[in-house]
Amino acid sequence: MSSAFIFVLLIALMLTGMPVSIALGLTVLTFMYTMTQVPIEAVALKLFSGIDSFEIMAIPFFILAGNFLTHGGVARRMIAFATAMVGHWYGGLGLAGVMACALFAAVSGSSPATVVAIGSIIMPAMVKQGFPKRFGAGVITTSGALGILIPPSIVMVIFAVATGGSVAIDPEGKRVLSASVGQLFMAGVIPGIMLATMLGLTTFYRAWKNDYPRMPKATWAEALQAFRDSIWGLLLVIIVMGGIYAGIFTPTEAAAMSAVYAFVIAVFVYRDMKLSDVPRVLLSSASMSAMILYIITNAVLFSFLMTSEQIPQAMTSWIVGSGISWVEFLLFVNILLLVAGNVMEPSSIVLITAPILFPIAVALGIHPVHLGILMTVNMEIGMCHPPVGLNLYVASGIAKMGITELTIATLPWLLTMLVFLVLVTYIPELSLWLPRMLGML
Amino acid sequence: MFFRILDRLEEILIASLLAAATLLIFVAVVHRYGTGVSFLYPYLIRFHISWAQELSIYMIIWVAKFGAAYGVRIGIHVGVDVLVNQLKPPYRKPVVMFGLFCGALFTGIIGTMGASFVIGLYPTDQTSPDLEIPSWIVYLCIPLGSYLMCFRFLQVLWSFWWTDELPHYDPGHVEGVDADAAAKELA
Repeated sequence: MSSAFIFVLLIALMLTGMPVSIALGLTVLTFMYTMTQVPIEAVALKLFSGIDSFEIMAIPFFILAGNFLTHGGVARRMIAFATAMVGHWYGGLGLAGVMACALFAAVSGSSPATVVAIGSIIMPAMVKQGFPKRFGAGVITTSGALGILIPPSIVMVIFAVATGGSVAIDPEGKRVLSASVGQLFMAGVIPGIMLATMLGLTTFYRAWKNDYPRMPKATWAEALQAFRDSIWGLLLVIIVMGGIYAGIFTPTEAAAMSAVYAFVIAVFVYRDMKLSDVPRVLLSSASMSAMILYIITNAVLFSFLMTSEQIPQAMTSWIVGSGISWVEFLLFVNILLLVAGNVMEPSSIVLITAPILFPIAVALGIHPVHLGILMTVNMEIGMCHPPVGLNLYVASGIAKMGITELTIATLPWLLTMLVFLVLVTYIPELSLWLPRMLGML
Repeated sequence: MFFRILDRLEEILIASLLAAATLLIFVAVVHRYGTGVSFLYPYLIRFHISWAQELSIYMIIWVAKFGAAYGVRIGIHVGVDVLVNQLKPPYRKPVVMFGLFCGALFTGIIGTMGASFVIGLYPTDQTSPDLEIPSWIVYLCIPLGSYLMCFRFLQVLWSFWWTDELPHYDPGHVEGVDADAAAKELA
């Protein structure tokens, strides 16, 4: 009864269009005030202690690093490098765009940022070369989504945070901890490369069928030069992933290091950004981080309420009791998340659903890391289709195309992503093999 | 005039706290590995920065509280507006106003609860674990940030009532990216 009340109230409040964070907070306040004996002052304390963890600090630092990279000419050099590598194949600049998005995704944790960084440079260039606008926009909107699958990834940090404190029991009755940020990052590598390859193949096929322009083959000297120019950006991949894997940094420290590194590269090495631009970058990063952290604090309140009402436990025993297999459950999870992707942005979806899905998934024998990757892929897809896909809006701003036209333009790549989602859902080893090989699981 | 100063203060506070927190973690990591280098060891060991992690967390929490207020001003807090935007303007207006009012209500309540919490903490000599600064100062961000956010919601509500306009945040806008020049270089 009370759980139905919670969800009805939450959905009703959200449908008025108020910020998701406020809807979550008001639901908790209303419920506590009317139905429980929990001292209401505890709420104020929770708003502080909810984000009082070092792990969460990775989010603002990764956002800051990403913003420095977007502004600082790293993207432009990565595009030049990608063009030198694959530009002479069918797909030309389009294929280079996919590769550049994948490279940029490996230094940035957000997918709209990837669309902006790569798209705002490569889309005008593609149109100038004679590609239809739709083709370029379709490639970049979907490839930009790689930003949250290829580590570092803000969505993965949020998943780790959302499931961090909860207890789950696997089918053998053992206690299972949630996935760590490091494990999730490592697990994202192979699916990320795979999705980039699949999007590249789709691009290649469509360009080959329509005979779109290709770039002249770069000479070895040119390719080497492009590589040397982009080396500072590419090194960041090694700093972040290598640093975390070798145990030199925690993910949060790696994020702070990459923010400082990206600042130095943008201002002193590439000199594409003036020192006077820095305050504006800081301010936009701070407001973006604050928005996500504010949702997190309220979502922590909300999951505190759910836990005290035993909702996840009740749902777990109900689902396990009803004899649903993990195959059916994951199908349901995918549909739920794809539907949610139609109305909400990723951090809210993960924060609200992960604490409920995590204990159920573990009880059905699904590995937490697998669940995290699967949710990330779902979030990627949600970003690429209307009505709320952020990538779509960003890309439509850059390409000066309407949302409807752009949606049709992204369809071939969106279908590719759906095929990829099925693969990731039902072949857990895609996510689990690499971290297991590295001894991280 | 007062509003302009408040706006600027808010911006300066969150931008500089974010920069400081990032640098602090950077310095802490460099320090940790620097003490492993033998000739640097005698110099670095004199500084203890075990408090760095705690301080950076507190700084980011302050960024989160005040940044959330700034976010209301620039319209960065997104909600599920798919349905509301389908409504005809005369119906949409009260719904949006209700949403903004709820924002002000929630942040107002949280601000008041936070204030009473801080006041309760003030006479105690409770301090933070590593830095040992009085806890009430650390927690002060809850009432201050929430009341500021409440004020921002009321501001937006006021201007929406008169002008029918909401602050709109555009994630696709990037300052400093010279797309045309870069595109020319490629083509």
